[in-house]
Amino acid sequence: MEPAEAEFLAEKELVTIVPNFSLDRIHLIGGDLGPFNPGLPVEVPVWLAINLKQRQKCRLIPPEWMDVEKLEEIRDQERKEDTFTPMPSPYYMELTKLLLNYASDNIPKADEIRTLVKDTWDTRIAKLRLSADSFVRQQEAHAKLDNLTLMEINTTGTFLTQALDHMYKLRNNLQPGESAHSQDF
Amino acid sequence: SFMQGSKLEVPLWLAKGLHDSKRRIISVELPKMYKEAWRTVFSADANVVDLHKMGPYYYGFGSQLLNFDNPENPEIARTILQASTFISRFRRIMDSSQNAYNEDTSALVARLDELERALFRAGQKGLNDFQCWEKGQASQITASSLVQNYGKRKFTDMDG
Repeated sequence: MEPAEAEFLAEKELVTIVPNFSLDRIHLIGGDLGPFNPGLPVEVPVWLAINLKQRQKCRLIPPEWMDVEKLEEIRDQERKEDTFTPMPSPYYMELTKLLLNYASDNIPKADEIRTLVKDTWDTRIAKLRLSADSFVRQQEAHAKLDNLTLMEINTTGTFLTQALDHMYKLRNNLQPGESAHSQDF
Repeated sequence: SFMQGSKLEVPLWLAKGLHDSKRRIISVELPKMYKEAWRTVFSADANVVDLHKMGPYYYGFGSQLLNFDNPENPEIARTILQASTFISRFRRIMDSSQNAYNEDTSALVARLDELERALFRAGQKGLNDFQCWEKGQASQITASSLVQNYGKRKFTDMDG
């Protein structure tokens, strides 16, 4: 999967906006949205929020986890533990990128937030690599990693599955008495 | 034509075809890097070895060699796979393919065999795609690399 596809999926997540226009309930295939009244907060999917923001028809309210103190807590927790911390959103990277790119004026301390999220990401990816290495070294048959997000899995997934594939083939070499060694190499 | 007991170099596919454990028409001599002396080097530090120079398909070729009923086969198989080689080089390949964005990794890649290089490229692609997306370049339309090299035709050339 491409990162852009993960972003596409992330855009279905709901976020709160404050519109400056009026509109009755709209009925979309995915469900109903609205009604919209100026000054009244309403929840909409991110794809619509970004669109409205770009047309200057609303302002965005950052999700409650997109806050410096909360993110510092998460970052510190991630650094302390060997396992993966459950993230406040399964799409934290995508949402951070989208909201900070299109609505940074609605998000207090946007730069700090960007840095904190990136730091947390870096820590998690490093942990993922550590896990992958010990998995390979010990030649485990399966591993279970909780609380990973789609973007993290995407970024390292192809490499890891290819490596494990090769290891599997090489490990089959250890079985004597196999009459047909594969031509796959 | 040749006599019994003579030594020849033939391609692997031919050797495989001639090999038959019951009739023993041929016996296959192990190439240097799969012999014990080199296997010891690998166990000492697999990371420094230039596997590309050793024959660019170290893993693939080594796996095919196991067809030839050599008594050293289990040792060879173990070396190719294990802490001696693939597994110990894995970490270095993973780390540099995921960290080394725009840095010069040519020194490391030069020492990788073809299988490891494919793996390295997969790791790099994962990272590159992510960083490209993060910068917002994923949604920019760029000319396909296939057409970038076509010479642009001048307007005058197109007169009918």
